[in-house]
Amino acid sequence: MYHIELLPNSTSHITPGWTYVPDRGFDPAKAAITPAIGRKRGIRDPGGRGDLSSRENNAIIRHLAELDRENHRDVQIAVPVKQKEPAGRGTRGKTTTNTRRILQSQKTFRNHLDDEEAHLSQTTQTTASNAPPRLSISSKVTKPSARRSSTPLTTPKTEPATKQRKQSAAAQQQRQQHQPSEPPAETSKPDTPAEPTAETETELPAKKQRLIASEYDNDPLLRSRIPSAPSERIMQALLSEPPLSYNAARAGPPVTKKAPRFFCCICGYWGKIRCRNCHVRMCGLGCYKVHEDSRCGAFL
Amino acid sequence: MGTTKPRPPAKSSITEARSLPEKTFIIDNGAYTMKAGYAPESPLSDDPLSTCNTIPNTIAKTRGNRIYIGSQLNAQPTDLNEMMFRRPVEKGYIVNWEAQKEIWEHSFLDEKTVRSKEFRIASPEETTLVLTEAPNALPVLQKNADEMVMEEWGFGGYLRCVGPSLNAWNEVQSLFGDPISQNLDAVVSPAECLLVVDSGYSHTTVTPVYKGQPLQRAIRRLDLGGKHLTNFLKEMVSMRQYNMVDETYIMNEVKEAVCFVSDDISKDMERTWKGNRKRDQSDPGEGVVVDYVLPDPNAGKRGFMRPHDPLLGVKKRKSVLSGETGAEALSEDVLVLGNERFTVPEILFTPHDIGMKQAGISDIILQSLSVLPPGLHPVFLANVLVVGGNALIPGFMKRLQTELREIATSECTVRVRCPEHPIRSTWLGASRLATNRDELKKVGITRQEYQEYGSSWAGRKFAGAL
Repeated sequence: MYHIELLPNSTSHITPGWTYVPDRGFDPAKAAITPAIGRKRGIRDPGGRGDLSSRENNAIIRHLAELDRENHRDVQIAVPVKQKEPAGRGTRGKTTTNTRRILQSQKTFRNHLDDEEAHLSQTTQTTASNAPPRLSISSKVTKPSARRSSTPLTTPKTEPATKQRKQSAAAQQQRQQHQPSEPPAETSKPDTPAEPTAETETELPAKKQRLIASEYDNDPLLRSRIPSAPSERIMQALLSEPPLSYNAARAGPPVTKKAPRFFCCICGYWGKIRCRNCHVRMCGLGCYKVHEDSRCGAFL
Repeated sequence: MGTTKPRPPAKSSITEARSLPEKTFIIDNGAYTMKAGYAPESPLSDDPLSTCNTIPNTIAKTRGNRIYIGSQLNAQPTDLNEMMFRRPVEKGYIVNWEAQKEIWEHSFLDEKTVRSKEFRIASPEETTLVLTEAPNALPVLQKNADEMVMEEWGFGGYLRCVGPSLNAWNEVQSLFGDPISQNLDAVVSPAECLLVVDSGYSHTTVTPVYKGQPLQRAIRRLDLGGKHLTNFLKEMVSMRQYNMVDETYIMNEVKEAVCFVSDDISKDMERTWKGNRKRDQSDPGEGVVVDYVLPDPNAGKRGFMRPHDPLLGVKKRKSVLSGETGAEALSEDVLVLGNERFTVPEILFTPHDIGMKQAGISDIILQSLSVLPPGLHPVFLANVLVVGGNALIPGFMKRLQTELREIATSECTVRVRCPEHPIRSTWLGASRLATNRDELKKVGITRQEYQEYGSSWAGRKFAGAL
């Protein structure tokens, strides 16, 4: 296997018109232009309905690109030419090479994003081995006592942090094993009420007055865990983190799964039936008739 | 410190290197509109938004090849048909500085075209510029912005910061019904924890803000915004009624007039279904189905919404025949909007409706919180602030509150609030930050510093690395 590596030099980033882009396999932007399957082959193949999902996928991607457009048609709107006044605002003469380059750049956001991705993949290739471990903050169960002492999380030194993580992982395992019986977590508990946050302090007496005391009150299984606010040190560490990349900040697929909904392509009501030929959704035979007469067979 | 090195000042007005100019001009540079103006001197002025000007951030071309820049678009209400737009801001970030420079100079710098003197930047050297950007901007675009601001115009002071985080400087305690802790004489300080949902033109972002600073790891973005809603509505209407594909401007007005977020979509769907309409005597779609009368540029009429009357056509024809009204009553073009009204904004909450793989807004809030310590979840869920133009869609707030309540842990309180002016809320926050001179000095840079250390230093400074 050979590979091409673009060595960073001072001129590479201002080269207009082309750039090295990592091959990331499926690219929605390109797929929208050239669908993965040839249309003719799809029609000729008698059993060619197998890859319908990819066909639908392309239709969705094309639709999304359509929704993202500024104008329906591609238009070039030039900046109006102004009559240069001799004693203008004086900004003309100050144009530096930087600003001239920026003003003349006709790059679109996608160009910039591709550049950025290429740059990122390059830096990750070179620094993959000595990448700093990500700050790990468990999102499941907090152990306030452990968290308080976890100062090394913030320090650049990685050794104590990993040790700490190992410890806490071990503690978690232990807890899982012993939870049904007497949990060892109880040993670390006593200092929890010792330093509650201001909120819980004010709430607790009120709650105690209202609730009926029972022998199970101190049962560790019934203990409600109110996670305490993280320490200032952790907040500082969180605040000092660098921003995520554009693509990393994109929201992921839904966590709570809902049944997918489909709509009639003619009237917008629920899409209860599908066309045999093009698999578009319709609400009933009335709309199907309209679809069959007008749009069926139109490209999906 | 740049003070030690003597430098010939460019203008005699600049005396001290480390102090930002007194006047602060704030530009919340949105993709659709710019919110811009001078910050008031004190946070206690009666109407702090009086100096905030909303200007369309676009160069538009009409059918007759006339070009309108920025605020010119507000003044000319005629000939909006087939208007084409060029926007310097793509996906929320300033990409095309050629167009952006033209619009800025037209709106803020050029004496002849600036609307009034209060909105003009007379001398950039004596002005501090606060420029907002969308979160997770590409570094190269940030660098471009810094270089343009400092080298093209040479502002005396400059601060570029993540837009949503500025909302924390607003007075949100009263909005959430919390007791106001700080006394009024004290300097303005940011809210401690605020989860800002910014649903704008190009995208919707979720930004947890801690003491005025964004928690970068938890910022999430949904690639759907007002533009997609408008285009989606345009597409539906073009397929079902008139061909409106070139009428982006008009369809945007239709969207703003008719769209709402349904709190029970299946019920509303039944009410608008044509099958039910036939069967029942009383029209079940009443209240949901509406007519939108399209603007008539020849008669100089704007578009408007009215309740749908299925017999209107017949009635009108009769009255024209009997001579009661003129023939022009027949000439009006009407869009009948039923389920389009609520299925369009619905995609913000269920992107799967258009086949998108991303989660809806409420889900994204939980995704964002999932990477933060659980100790912060209750406080962020109890302080959700929605800003941006989509917050104005009726029913949006209620729906978000309901959905978030359903999926959040039952121990947490969920409070979703919207400021009085959701579009200008970020600007207002920035103006309150600007009154806190010490804080502004801490985060901003001066012209001298820029000249001394350059744009990469400025980038690191604004990223909080210095």
